[in-house]
Amino acid sequence: MATGITHEESIKRVYRVCGILAIVTAVEIIAALSHYSWLGLSEEAKVAAKLPLNVLFIVLSAAKAYYIMSEFMHLRYELKPLTISVMAPFLFLIWAIIAFSYEGVSWLQLRTWFG
Amino acid sequence: MADSAMTAHHDHALEQSTEELWSGGQEPVKASYGKLMMWYFLISDTFTFAGFLIAYAAIRFAHPTHSAGAWNSWPDPNEVFSATPVTGHANLPLIFVTFMTFTLIVSSVTMVRAVQEGTRMNRKGVMFWMVWTILGGLVFVGSQAWEWQHLIHEGMTPTGNPFGAAAFGALFFIITGFHGAHVSVGVVINSIVLFQTWIGTYDRRGHYEMIEKVGLYWHFVDLVWVYVFMAFYLL
Repeated sequence: MATGITHEESIKRVYRVCGILAIVTAVEIIAALSHYSWLGLSEEAKVAAKLPLNVLFIVLSAAKAYYIMSEFMHLRYELKPLTISVMAPFLFLIWAIIAFSYEGVSWLQLRTWFG
Repeated sequence: MADSAMTAHHDHALEQSTEELWSGGQEPVKASYGKLMMWYFLISDTFTFAGFLIAYAAIRFAHPTHSAGAWNSWPDPNEVFSATPVTGHANLPLIFVTFMTFTLIVSSVTMVRAVQEGTRMNRKGVMFWMVWTILGGLVFVGSQAWEWQHLIHEGMTPTGNPFGAAAFGALFFIITGFHGAHVSVGVVINSIVLFQTWIGTYDRRGHYEMIEKVGLYWHFVDLVWVYVFMAFYLL
């Protein structure tokens, strides 16, 4: 288990992380619902409001992923080489997300142009 | 071991070195073989889920953003996911999925508690927390089953749905189905481990590392849900 901290301390940390995850999820839901209540706005205004919200959702999800991996999956307390060998392959995913999103936008353009 | 300065602990480690510690005298990155392989399995599983979710992103970008009445535009999650088993068709967007998400977070916490009791060789404590973890998993899978049958009832199929772009249904069933299958497998594995704890397998083995390994898998399922939740319900 966690090196250098007592059993009581590690229990406390788990419940603290649980609280953080719950609060972050609640914030995400409230943000998503606030967008829903703006239905009266024009389509352009809705699209404009959705963009900063999406950035918020991605950042908050990354924060949740960080807490789950570091505390629940215990990665914070493992040796650094283990952490690196687990995290390094995910660099490929960053490329894949950018490349395929770009490709998707291009598909939409082709469809619009050629029906 | 004639050297009296050598502690009993060192004696033990040397005896183990050739047979148990990966035959190199020392464990790589101080992790057991099983734990490291669980991590590497989870990396490969991450790539499977990432493949699905990146396909979701590409197909979604290939459709116009949501606009009411346009059959080919991407559905609005607030519109699709607005029912709960308790309130029926009263318009409560995202409330049921919030409950599902909290269930999974809490069952992750009970899993960590089981691992912690395992390091103290507390058999009763491990069993107590494992039971709660399994219950959390069952509630989650049950909720997902309800949501599926509700959406099927609404007319969502892999080839079409009343909310917008046809591809949405196929992606929803494939990705949440694959995640639900992972949760179901997790419930089965957790039950097996609970049974082995009960009959004292890990007490005889001298350590509860198996709880830690199935725990890694269980947290991974929670981690994937963070992104499935983000892709389908938030973005």
